[in-house]
Amino acid sequence: MDGIRIGVHICRGNWSKDEDVLLRGDYARLLPALERMKIDQFVLEYATPRAGDIDVVGKKLADRELGLGVVNPRTNDVEPVAAIVAKAEKALEYYRPEQLFLNTDCGFGCFASRSVNVEEVAYKKLCAIVEAAKILRSKYR
Amino acid sequence: MNAQNTFLTTQVGSWPRSRQMLKTLRDYQKGRVSRNEFNAVADGEIRRTVSLQEKAGLDIVVDGEHRRESFYAFLTDKVAGTQLMSLAEMLDFVEDKAEFEEMLRTMDMPASAVKNPTCIGRLTRKEPLAVGDLHFLRTLTNKPVKITLPGPYLLTRSMWVGALTGKVYRNHKKMADDIVKILREELLELRDAGCEFVQFDEPVLTEVVMSEECQRRTFM
Repeated sequence: MDGIRIGVHICRGNWSKDEDVLLRGDYARLLPALERMKIDQFVLEYATPRAGDIDVVGKKLADRELGLGVVNPRTNDVEPVAAIVAKAEKALEYYRPEQLFLNTDCGFGCFASRSVNVEEVAYKKLCAIVEAAKILRSKYR
Repeated sequence: MNAQNTFLTTQVGSWPRSRQMLKTLRDYQKGRVSRNEFNAVADGEIRRTVSLQEKAGLDIVVDGEHRRESFYAFLTDKVAGTQLMSLAEMLDFVEDKAEFEEMLRTMDMPASAVKNPTCIGRLTRKEPLAVGDLHFLRTLTNKPVKITLPGPYLLTRSMWVGALTGKVYRNHKKMADDIVKILREELLELRDAGCEFVQFDEPVLTEVVMSEECQRRTFM
């Protein structure tokens, strides 16, 4: 559709901080459905190893933008900026810098009474994403 | 390409709710506070969430979904033919109660915290789902904004509760036709109002291919 960017967000559940009860698997089996979607961007969970390898979507969906999930909203530790940069650089094997967005893996409070984090940590995670983007912009002009 | 159009930063949508926001939401749902009072509290929370994103330096901001019960259950405020039900309340209507309880237990899914927008009548849009959110966001920031909406697949899968919805729609597909119509109307209105980015949330897609039982329904 012209005049607006349409994204589709996919994750593996965000209701529990217990990673063991959340779903696990890469996007391979969804590719036939995803390839048919008339949208501009896939906003995908990738900060957790449960999401599998970036190659899976990179090889098939790089004609669209990727909203790359680089921080896990459910953990208390803030992801190191260098790790975020490295993840984005892996995605650069398939995507141009203007196709690549950096975002959280999911929301911080999808269910009102079940926020998966506190504001102070959420804010620090956003700062880490912004810091990584600055480094990437200086490296890939 | 301008450097500012590379590696754009944003977040997926929702922000942790404060104790005051959660209490006001519950009071509003029980009719103890007016819609204006509810919105006044939510406006303050959204204002803080937007200023934090600006301070962090995000390129595209969201409102944090403070007005929403959840990223999809908020639909019951906006769409006729729906009823907000806790998973505990839904126990009376699911086909296999024991299996449903087992699913809640093993998934660490809190039956009282998760509420479902169950379809109990013909679905029509009473009011825009998020156009109001867009207009309020615009008063707070000059940055591009992203509006989040539940995807059609998530809604079709969660809203259909056979014992109730089956009295209104012949099957899932008939109900889905109305869901798509509502989402499409909303998308066009958001575009015409100048929204830069709409994100449809479809977490349940992974459930279909990754959960052990494809038929299992988590209503997440």
